Amino acid sequence: MASVLSSSRSTAHPFGERYAGRMGPLPGASQPWVDGLRQAGRAALTSSGLPGPKVEAWRYTSLAELAKVAFIPAATADDVEVASVPSRVPRLDGFPRLVLVNGVLRRDLSDVAANAFAVPLRDALNGGDPAVRAVLGKIAPVSGSPISALNTSFLSEGLVVSAQSGAPVRLQIVTIGAAGAEPAAFHPRIVLTASDGADVTVAVHHVGLPGQSYLSNPVTEISIGRGATVRNFVDLAEDGDAFHLGLTAVNLAANGSYEDFRLALGGGLIRQDVTAIFSGDGGRVTLNGAYALAKTEHHELATTFFHDVPNCNSEQIVRGVAAGRSRAVFQGRIRVAPNAQKTDARQNHKALFLDAGPKIDCKPELEIFADDVQCAHGAATGEIDHDQLFYLLSRGIDPDTARALLVAGFLVDVVSRLSIDVVREAFAGAVSAWLKTRVVSGGVP
Amino acid sequence: MALIEIEDLHVAVAGKDVLKGLSLAIEAGTVHAIMGPNGTGKSTLSNVIAGREGYDIKRGRIVFAGRDLLAMPADERARAGIFLAFQYPVEIPGVSTSAFLKTAINAKRRAAGLSEIDAMEFLKLVKAKCKALGVADDMIKRPLNVGFSGGEKKRAEVLQMSLLEPRFAVLDETDSGLDIDALKVVSAGVNALRGPESAFLVITHYQRLLNYIVPDQVHILSGGRIVASGGRELAERLERDGYAQFQTAA
Ligand SMILES: Nc1ncnc2c1ncn2[C@@H]1O[C@H](COP(=O)(O)OP(=O)(O)OP(=O)(O)O)[C@@H](O)[C@H]1O
Ligand SMILES: [Mg+2]
Repeated sequence: MASVLSSSRSTAHPFGERYAGRMGPLPGASQPWVDGLRQAGRAALTSSGLPGPKVEAWRYTSLAELAKVAFIPAATADDVEVASVPSRVPRLDGFPRLVLVNGVLRRDLSDVAANAFAVPLRDALNGGDPAVRAVLGKIAPVSGSPISALNTSFLSEGLVVSAQSGAPVRLQIVTIGAAGAEPAAFHPRIVLTASDGADVTVAVHHVGLPGQSYLSNPVTEISIGRGATVRNFVDLAEDGDAFHLGLTAVNLAANGSYEDFRLALGGGLIRQDVTAIFSGDGGRVTLNGAYALAKTEHHELATTFFHDVPNCNSEQIVRGVAAGRSRAVFQGRIRVAPNAQKTDARQNHKALFLDAGPKIDCKPELEIFADDVQCAHGAATGEIDHDQLFYLLSRGIDPDTARALLVAGFLVDVVSRLSIDVVREAFAGAVSAWLKTRVVSGGVP
Repeated sequence: MALIEIEDLHVAVAGKDVLKGLSLAIEAGTVHAIMGPNGTGKSTLSNVIAGREGYDIKRGRIVFAGRDLLAMPADERARAGIFLAFQYPVEIPGVSTSAFLKTAINAKRRAAGLSEIDAMEFLKLVKAKCKALGVADDMIKRPLNVGFSGGEKKRAEVLQMSLLEPRFAVLDETDSGLDIDALKVVSAGVNALRGPESAFLVITHYQRLLNYIVPDQVHILSGGRIVASGGRELAERLERDGYAQFQTAA
């Protein structure tokens, strides 16, 4: 057993030698830097373990349950059969599809048009692709992020997507989690490079096969060149028994633009981190999100924006609803460096309780070291507004339908900010589907 | 028998007695107007009729079309034909006006044993009503009341009313904030709904509205009760001499 002893600072975890031993040969064996990365991940994991409740950034999300599961590497599960993409995932017009099953690119399930844009990470590691080397582990270093440390420890599967300026690139990426008889974990890494002036939109759907216990541990590193635009729309609908520990790390060069939308409509235990670093003037980040939780689902979104240079904007609007005995957390950290004058950073989180059971926490954290900046944060939790409810009732709409309309409106209000029509409609559709099953028919579980 | 009969209504809000023995009977086919100083309970009366919670009804009853109105939940009242055009319509982000209108229309149709409205028929109907009320077509694509100007909100209330065709409608200061042209358009919308089966209660501070929506009776509400009732000339007297003449020891 290589597990670290449990303490309040760390949690013993199942990703020690037993797990590593089952991994089999990993790609990039002839590339010392690849193994160096993995070793750095392993070292971070060994010295700190998975974070425990005393680690400030992890005080709201306990990994104790996850640590009890004896995961095996998903790639070694030979009883997994995925023959098609779950119908939950919509087709997006103009977005050719790439499908990863347990992190492994499945060309047979992907569209021909999409395959042209993507290289499996495994191939890039074996070939020692210098463009990948320049990014990998640089934007999402293992230090400071246990999610990255875990992912990097087992670096093998995933995708490399590169876009040049010219015709906009659009892709739909579907990651499917599937375990066999034993709980399985996978650690896909996506490296997305948008060269100067490129325009890239990806819609990423995280789904799983029902009733299976798996851990999805995706890390996405996004490098945005000068004047380039990247849109990353993430639809997180893992199965109810699944764990998800994800990190998206973004670096923006001058005048780069990044738009992110996080839709989270399910999963047993989810923590998704988004980190953005402004490394050139004039960068812009918009991160909006909507989540809806029920039963005992746990969802945390933790964002960290580093305004390291002047004249950059960031805006975050997150709306959530929670029912049953679910738990929602939003942590938003904004750091404005001393020289980052004219920063404009705004953050707003609002959540609705659908009944008395859930627990919702919001922790804004503003560290501002420059004086000529505009920073604002707002947070509110509450119940459905009585005046709004009465307005709908007074028009003859029954209470269940009225509530459903208001809850949908609360979430759709932020979804409507998503800039790409086809994705916005798909996400709004997913929200109404969630509400139809949870709020209207049979009440909120 | 009047369409709606309010008998000896006593209502307190937040521990304060607001309505203190209000009685009013409105026949089908008629329009009544209520005028009264700020804070005398006009909106309280409107809300109690529409079924808003938070009002302590201490005494009295309201009979609507032979039914005990106060025993019915708000949505049921609306489906039975009650409509309140709000003094301050609330904004509802994320809910498109058209989706809301369709839901409301269908709620009413279902209660009447009718099938849901066909999508094309709905669009045609809404377009026609918008045109008649001078409501821009694209307003119904926007979230309900969000960012509507004061006047637009009032027009949207009347649009809802004309789509839902209530039997009894209360218009709580629908004229406030309307420009003179809008006042005429909105009044025409109300007049178009007048008929032998329906009745209106128009709350206003201004006699001007009553030039366009001509009431059968005018009541003065003061100190929580009706202190004077009469024809249109009452509104004219009020405009001339103010409320002092009507103030009675409550
Ligand atoms: N929710 C409430 N909480 C406390 N007081 C209230 C509430 N609602 C109404 N009131 C009080 O009850 C009284 C009557 O209010 P109401 O809104 O009915 O007056 P109104 O006649 O409609 O006035 P206006 O002409 O200004 O619209 C006022 O004194 C008001 O402050
Ligand atoms: Mg009023």
